[in-house]
Amino acid sequence: MGAIEVDEVSKRYGTCQALERVSLDIRAGEIYGLIGPDGAGKTSLFRILVTLLLPDSGHARVEGLDVVKDFMAIRRRIGYMPGRFSLYQDLTVAENLDFFATMFGTTVADNYENIREIYSQIEPFRDRRAGKLSGGMKQKLALCCALVHRPTVLFLDEPTTGVDAVSRKEFWNMLYRIREAGVTILVSTPYMDEASLCDRISLIQQGHIIETGTPAAIVAQYPHRLFGVSGHPAYPLLKYLRRRNDLLRCFSFGSEHHVAVAPGTIAPDELQTQIRAAGFSDATVHEIEPNIEDCFMELAKKERQKA
Amino acid sequence: MVLLYLLEKEFKQFFRDPGLPKMAIAFPVLMMLVFPFAVSMEIRNVDLVVVDSNRSVASSKLVESCTASGYFNLVEVCDDPARAMQLMDRNKADAILTIESDFDRCLERGEALPVGVKVNTINGTKGSIGAGYLTSCIQRYYAENAPTQPTTAAAGPQLDVSSKYYFNTYLDYKKFMVPALIVIAITMLTGFFPALNIVSEKERGTIEQINVTPVNRGAFILCKLIPYWLVAFFVLTACLLIARWVFGYTCAGSVGLMYFFTAGNILVTAGMGLLISNYSDNAQQAMFVTWFFMMVFMLVSGIFTPIASMPGWAQAITYLNPMRYYADAMRGIYIKGSSLADVWTDAAGLLTIGAAMVSWAILSYKKTN
Repeated sequence: MGAIEVDEVSKRYGTCQALERVSLDIRAGEIYGLIGPDGAGKTSLFRILVTLLLPDSGHARVEGLDVVKDFMAIRRRIGYMPGRFSLYQDLTVAENLDFFATMFGTTVADNYENIREIYSQIEPFRDRRAGKLSGGMKQKLALCCALVHRPTVLFLDEPTTGVDAVSRKEFWNMLYRIREAGVTILVSTPYMDEASLCDRISLIQQGHIIETGTPAAIVAQYPHRLFGVSGHPAYPLLKYLRRRNDLLRCFSFGSEHHVAVAPGTIAPDELQTQIRAAGFSDATVHEIEPNIEDCFMELAKKERQKA
Repeated sequence: MVLLYLLEKEFKQFFRDPGLPKMAIAFPVLMMLVFPFAVSMEIRNVDLVVVDSNRSVASSKLVESCTASGYFNLVEVCDDPARAMQLMDRNKADAILTIESDFDRCLERGEALPVGVKVNTINGTKGSIGAGYLTSCIQRYYAENAPTQPTTAAAGPQLDVSSKYYFNTYLDYKKFMVPALIVIAITMLTGFFPALNIVSEKERGTIEQINVTPVNRGAFILCKLIPYWLVAFFVLTACLLIARWVFGYTCAGSVGLMYFFTAGNILVTAGMGLLISNYSDNAQQAMFVTWFFMMVFMLVSGIFTPIASMPGWAQAITYLNPMRYYADAMRGIYIKGSSLADVWTDAAGLLTIGAAMVSWAILSYKKTN
């Protein structure tokens, strides 16, 4: 039995289909990533799983409990950290923690070990009002409040949105340690680079799951060869590459352009010669490994063509 | 345990709010110290212009008797009716008293007095009450100054009606308004605060965080009601003390009964506040809808205008108005000393509406979108 099972769940708001027949199977003790852009339906799925929203159709179970029928039992077992900071800003750090512990019928003292590592970082500010904390500290407090009742499944909806790079890294380290305690973690993120930090991921786009698997397996399925092209001026170079019919896709990716080509059509040095001949004298082309974002772009495009 | 902690949290938040505690104190004080004077329906200082074409001792005595009543403010005595109209047009005069040139002769012969009264009814109440005062001044003057046996029945049949006002012997408008202002103050505070409180939890997302805990909704809603119950009792106590110290009024009936009705009223207004917040997404919506209902409740509550003088359909609506019951009971208890046996219908009405509001609020507080 999986820790979280989602079976053909759909949800519609008016004319907007937020989720369409979404199915997931998440195993106990893994960090599972739900990766997709804003508006893909990540938050709707989270709200259904944490019993805040009723699905229109389909079933979902958390640790074998139905999200509609057994919602009260689920609430005792899960921790939820919504994307937006939603603790009481006019209560202090310690008061917020005490409050949520009490709401779950427990105390901070009983569960101190469970949150010690994270809480110790914000404990010096225990008497500061939550509204006056910095972004990174707010996030730690929210995580403490979500963990204070020893949940076995943790739902983190875009926990790293708006958090700086160092804090993000720190946050992921905390997640690994929480996982060691046997907690199942479902985390959503719009950042593709965080996908590779998860045990398994699902890519979600416009309410559809477009791919599921380990980050390595998804990358391995990438069907094309990928070249990194750089040169000046960058934008005319991109336009030139897009005009060429022998290249499949071309995206700007940081300082480089990622160019997908069908295997066996053109080699990197061949392409480099042709680009230089077209007037981009400093252009370089080298073969690169695809990352999750390349895979997402590829799959999303396929999905659009299907629809 | 959970209930106590939820309550503790509500109180912490209430006292940490920069505005709420101050409002809870300032509001009753303002209501009691300013409004009894400001919303008085007593008419004083009616600006009077006299057109005296008679210019006799008799006519000047009439003018004197009018101004001596204390209700009028003599602006001018002139000869020209056009001049008086001009003053009224310019809003300098509320009433014009015209005395014809044969006034003194008519008075001697005991004939009908040739006087005219014109009133400015832009402010209807002031106009009609002003005209009433003026007519009664003239009648009194005629009764005192006409020959003992008038030859003709100029003033019509003479009735000597003497009125006795019970419970508020001197028709003191302030005494009449004090319980009504308590009603308004408590209804406003307990109507707005819980609604805005819940909506702000919605706006900040904290309500979701509560919703994923195993706390049941009954406990959560109860904890939103109890603090405002206490605020309302505090306001009621403050109002009663101010009425006593500043105006010297005391409650004619049982003070405990006033607290009982206040508790019932909170059930209604707080229940309504919660209900509104369940259907609103943000503070503006909740604010406006609450304000709308408060206005309607107040206007058809019988506080400012008697319910008996409303048309039938409006009277029918007032039976759905919780403020009607509350105001009626509070005035009855405070001014007349009514007991529960006298106002039990008000209690029944208030509690029925309250139970309906709270049940609806609890049922509608659920997960939708």
